[in-house]
Amino acid sequence: MSLLTIERVVSGYADMEVLHGVDLAVDVGEIVTIIGPNGAGKSTLMKTIFGLLKPKAGRITFDDTDITGRSPDRVVRRGLAYVPQVENVFPSLTIQENLEMGAFILRGNLRDRLRRVYELFPVLGVRQKARVGKMSGGERQMVAMGRALMLDPRLLMLDEPSAALAPNLTATIFDRIAAINEAGVTILIVEQNAKESLKLSDRGCVFAAGLKCFEDSGPALLANEDIGRLYLGG
Amino acid sequence: MELFVGIVNYLVFFAITAGTYGVLSLGLNLQWGYTGLFNIGVAGFYAVGAYTAALISGPPPDVWDGRLVGGFELPFVIGLLAAAVVAGAVAFLIGLPTLRLRADYLAIATIGIAETIRLVLKNEAWLTNGVWGLQQIPSPLHEPIHHGAIGFVRARPDLAPWLGDLISKAYNWFYLVLVAVVLVVLYLVMRRLARSPWGRVLRAIREDEDVAAMSGKNVFAYKLQALVLGAMIMGIGGALYAHYARFISPNSFEPLYGTFIVWVMLILGGTGNNKGAILGAFTVWGIWAATDFITGYLPFTAPQAAALRIIVIGLLLEVIILVRPQGLLPEIKSRRAARDRPKDTGEAESPPP
Amino acid sequence: MDALARIPQLLVYGIVSGSILSLGGIGVSLTYRILGFSNFAHGDTMALGAYLTLALLPVAARLGIPGGALSPLSFGWDFAASLLLAIAATSLAIALLDRLFFRRLRNANRVTLMISTIGIALALRNLLQFIWGPQPHYYSTAIQRAVLIPRLGIRIKPDQIFIVAIAVALALLLHLFLRYTKMGKAMRATSDNTSLARVTGIDTERVILWTWVIGASLAAIAGVLTGLENKFITPELGWQMLLSIFAAVILGGIGNPYGAIVGGLVVGISEEVSTAFISTGYKPAVAFAILILMLLIRPTGLLGRRR
Repeated sequence: MSLLTIERVVSGYADMEVLHGVDLAVDVGEIVTIIGPNGAGKSTLMKTIFGLLKPKAGRITFDDTDITGRSPDRVVRRGLAYVPQVENVFPSLTIQENLEMGAFILRGNLRDRLRRVYELFPVLGVRQKARVGKMSGGERQMVAMGRALMLDPRLLMLDEPSAALAPNLTATIFDRIAAINEAGVTILIVEQNAKESLKLSDRGCVFAAGLKCFEDSGPALLANEDIGRLYLGG
Repeated sequence: MELFVGIVNYLVFFAITAGTYGVLSLGLNLQWGYTGLFNIGVAGFYAVGAYTAALISGPPPDVWDGRLVGGFELPFVIGLLAAAVVAGAVAFLIGLPTLRLRADYLAIATIGIAETIRLVLKNEAWLTNGVWGLQQIPSPLHEPIHHGAIGFVRARPDLAPWLGDLISKAYNWFYLVLVAVVLVVLYLVMRRLARSPWGRVLRAIREDEDVAAMSGKNVFAYKLQALVLGAMIMGIGGALYAHYARFISPNSFEPLYGTFIVWVMLILGGTGNNKGAILGAFTVWGIWAATDFITGYLPFTAPQAAALRIIVIGLLLEVIILVRPQGLLPEIKSRRAARDRPKDTGEAESPPP
Repeated sequence: MDALARIPQLLVYGIVSGSILSLGGIGVSLTYRILGFSNFAHGDTMALGAYLTLALLPVAARLGIPGGALSPLSFGWDFAASLLLAIAATSLAIALLDRLFFRRLRNANRVTLMISTIGIALALRNLLQFIWGPQPHYYSTAIQRAVLIPRLGIRIKPDQIFIVAIAVALALLLHLFLRYTKMGKAMRATSDNTSLARVTGIDTERVILWTWVIGASLAAIAGVLTGLENKFITPELGWQMLLSIFAAVILGGIGNPYGAIVGGLVVGISEEVSTAFISTGYKPAVAFAILILMLLIRPTGLLGRRR
């Protein structure tokens, strides 16, 4: 059953159209990875889904509700969460405050939610009161993801979670992503460094020049030699 | 007939003032419209120009004066050129430390500078006669034209009174022509500059300084040139004002009249468009004059009427910004997108690299 | 020698006026940080608060609040009540302004926004003049006796102690608010990254509203304190202080409310102490000199960080 459906979406920026009619579907419980070269429109797609960009045409449906062009704070309330690629934490806030902001729209006690995030990312639990601005890339990424999970989203969108991370941290991050998925969260990932991501994906889509040009199961894409040569760095 | 003459005389006076503001608007257009320099100190350059012209062309200090220097009684043209040069020099000195600043900082710096100039004008009586101002600034060719006209009318007692009235104001007509000539010359100069490579670099700097810098241009030098040239134009405006009003004091260059109204004129007329600058000057001055008439018929006290008129101008600006920020005559190159470029909120409005 | 002897007293005056500048500057810094532009109408917001406090005194009396000065201060409970009403009214006015005007310009060029605030400043100032006239309105005509503190060789009036105390209390309250409340954290988050704040689900329009309300409230209080200190108010009150306020804000680092507090005190003290050495006619230039120095040497301010 499709959780997120994207139909013929055309989107872009003030003077440039980047997506020329994209179709994509993400089913409940899946991990889907979008790969492709720079400029293919991967980040643009994420921003369009989440309402940071208004699509010029097409439809986006989440859980049978039309969310096309809805603003981010409305989209968040529907059960989607988004972790941008850069500037995805609040540097002058502490870890705990960053997480608390994730649950801004909720009233009441956040203790349980915080506990779950700290269980998922024990490193964060140790330094809750530390300012995020001074932390390493890996820790920031964990804070960003933890923040996104505070609302128990049904769909989590990650924009290049392993960008600028050392390889050992990359493994940790993807391990955590798998754990999150096991807990019942559907995950949509955009990745350039796609090998690790495809390993745990149910499906993978290849984007180029603003269109989805190829789709297959994760393992199949990994095994595909052409894809490997073109997009996975040989 | 008499009413007609009265109206005509008023219109001449109106046009002289509006034309002077047109000169100021052109100067601001060069600084802000072309180069994107946020200069809120227009009144400062305007005042420096006026005072320079007055001190160069005016009479030497007399017994009543607090002054110790100045008053060389030199010809009008020299005063005009001196006004431009001194205003430009002041702009140069100001520009050196401040032009590297960001827009809001430059704005605050220029406000402070205009204030400081006004304080100097107020306090340094040995040069400027302080708050008492400079009097008896001579108008160019006033003797021959005005007295010639009066003599002409007197020698013809059979002349219709309205015609005599019209002719005796001949000096105003002369001054109007003078202002018009200066305005047209400056307009042509500005138009030439706009189409020149120099003008193109200025616009490139306005749009994106970093890109301009990367193409090897010394951005700072260009900005300084624009500031100085714009200031020189404003100085000329000041000289025109001084020679017509014949009396100036620090209060003549209050931030409202000196700076803010020029900004409204440029924005309403069309930022980046020279014709727009002039059109804006005449339009806003017209509105200002109209409010004078209208409030005259309303039952308000004088301070209330004055305040109401200013409120109208303030609201006018807000309405323009909301409804038509590019002004009546938008900039010729279709760069409207650049005028209201979205803030950089991290929400990328341009494609990621 | 005589000049040096006056410094302790001038220091006192400086702390008093600096406290007022601090309160005024906090609003400017907050607006800059969260909305992204410098609000040149802030001074006139101060004046609005000052005038409304006077105007609403009869309302306080109607509500049965007792009048009469609370000795040794120069004002009483009715004044305090009137101040609270004025704060509410000023905040409402500014919130309306945002709703009707600034909200439509959220993505406008920041220079256009600044120019628009100059227009609003002008209109507001002249509205005050239209209603109340250009002549001074007196907060109190009684002469308040200064208390002499022999050990330090200074005199200070009870009202002045009140001014400093209020400023300290408000600064503390603001700190607690920003640090520990949900909206305070949301404001800090939004000022870090507005786009991410929206993505997180923070209602940025509500954050903006709070920013205006806090800024306007502090401005109203600062305006009233100015009236207490000077004994009278005129419509020009705010605009005259604007340069000093901006000097304070930039000195402390524009966008940093704590910097505004530090900057306010430094500018206030500098302005007052300078009168021992240079003519009072140039006092406004002191703020400007500080401003230029900061912009040349360290534009990000003492407590600022690179944006």
